[in-house]
Amino acid sequence: MLQKLNSPFMYALCGGIILFVAIVCIIFLVRSYRAGKAMGMDPAVLKRTIVSSATFSVLPAVGILLGVIALSGSLGTPWPWLRLSVIGALHYETQVAEAASEAVGIGKLSITHMTSSAFATIALLMSVCIMWGMILSILFNKRYTARMSAGGRKKKSALGFGDKAMTAMFIGLVSAYVGSYIGGWISGDGVFTFGGDTTPLIVAIVSACAMAVFTYFSEKKNARWLENFSVAGSMLIGMAAAVLLG
Amino acid sequence: MNNKKTETADMKAAEMQTAETQTAEAKTTAPGFSTEKFNRGTHRIGRITSLITLIMLVGAPFLIGLYLGAMPDLSAAAKGFLAVGLVWTVSSVVEFLVYTPMLGSGGGYLAFITGNLINMKIPCAMNARDIAGTKAGTTENEIVSTLSIATSSLVTIGILALGVLMLQPLQPILQSETLAPAFANVVPALFGAMAYQYYRRDLKLAVIPLAVMTLLFILVPSLQSQTSIMILPSGALSIVLAWMEYRRNKKRNDSEAAQPAEKDDLNGDD
Repeated sequence: MLQKLNSPFMYALCGGIILFVAIVCIIFLVRSYRAGKAMGMDPAVLKRTIVSSATFSVLPAVGILLGVIALSGSLGTPWPWLRLSVIGALHYETQVAEAASEAVGIGKLSITHMTSSAFATIALLMSVCIMWGMILSILFNKRYTARMSAGGRKKKSALGFGDKAMTAMFIGLVSAYVGSYIGGWISGDGVFTFGGDTTPLIVAIVSACAMAVFTYFSEKKNARWLENFSVAGSMLIGMAAAVLLG
Repeated sequence: MNNKKTETADMKAAEMQTAETQTAEAKTTAPGFSTEKFNRGTHRIGRITSLITLIMLVGAPFLIGLYLGAMPDLSAAAKGFLAVGLVWTVSSVVEFLVYTPMLGSGGGYLAFITGNLINMKIPCAMNARDIAGTKAGTTENEIVSTLSIATSSLVTIGILALGVLMLQPLQPILQSETLAPAFANVVPALFGAMAYQYYRRDLKLAVIPLAVMTLLFILVPSLQSQTSIMILPSGALSIVLAWMEYRRNKKRNDSEAAQPAEKDDLNGDD
């Protein structure tokens, strides 16, 4: 199955979409640069913006590449390459792929149980779940940006609970999975037998500890650049623990 | 009454800010440049390219299905969407509402096409804005954030393409049996990292959802194969708890703010 997922067809399809998005980026880049010059902005400022954005993006991009490696074992390389180059983010892609695997009945996200229909379904769900930002942009970007420039301050206060709700939603999401790992260990082999699989729980704990170390250095030791690698790096350390556990 | 006064003052301030912005833009804009025309073009290109990208991304799984000889299972996709998609739909709406004003129209279209918002595009655009010294809501800011997001996306696309090319010789190692447990545990590795990230933001809020979910999975082990279904009740429980806390804090802050005002009134009466 992995051979099919890594076939030239998959590379051509995913590469074609990535190429289209790269062209879109170039169009926006050239257009904005020309407009900036036409409206009298200093070309040095425009060039500095481009150079600083390019250097700023190198480290996070390497972090994203680690995400492609993490997903390539279960979904092949081209599909994660497309998803992480263009629209998605590592945490989103992994969660949706896992949920889709459960919905199609192959259980956990793994290449050993992957079927053609399961992969096509997983790919569809990954695309559908995150398309709303684009749809909202198509429908409301024009009206919303016009309204915000007329009276932006009022809107901002209306989103007061928004930040907290986002954090709460993710706490709920994470709790469901962490709860399942603890439950899997305690009752995986029969209620309260403590004989279930401990690997997911240990991997999660190792990954959380790695994240704590990354956070400590980036916040307390002022190594902000480490933030770019914290999620992907913690994941790879957690996955390394799984290899050691066998 | 006070609220109305504050609202009117806010609106006046916003109007003044807009007027100042427009004056500043008029001063800097060259005679041959039309902001309105530029914005109209941005929306036209943004909408068309977003629509084409959307069609390609949703169409790709069906093309893959044709190639693999098995189409996506739509009922399973719907089931998966109900389990996990609703959470991401809410998240997408919040992201759109919060980030679009920060990025401007062109930056907004590009950011939602290219993704990786929180971990890359938003900090990158904010960094560029600081360097260029532009203010939110101005055409200069719109140009700087679009330049920044377009550059950032191109760098990501380039590095990932190079990386994927270099991954080719590593394929046999990545597919080896020794590394199989690593790839089978991608999800626990992700949730471990995310647990630390989110629990430390509000540990008090995390206690009840985690305890309830753990208890459920212990008492009903069959739920473990359907963990994603439990995301909705767990998320709903967390949001209700957060809302209760938010209301409680708001009431306390309001009453604390009212107390000095009452004291002032009393002092004034004396």
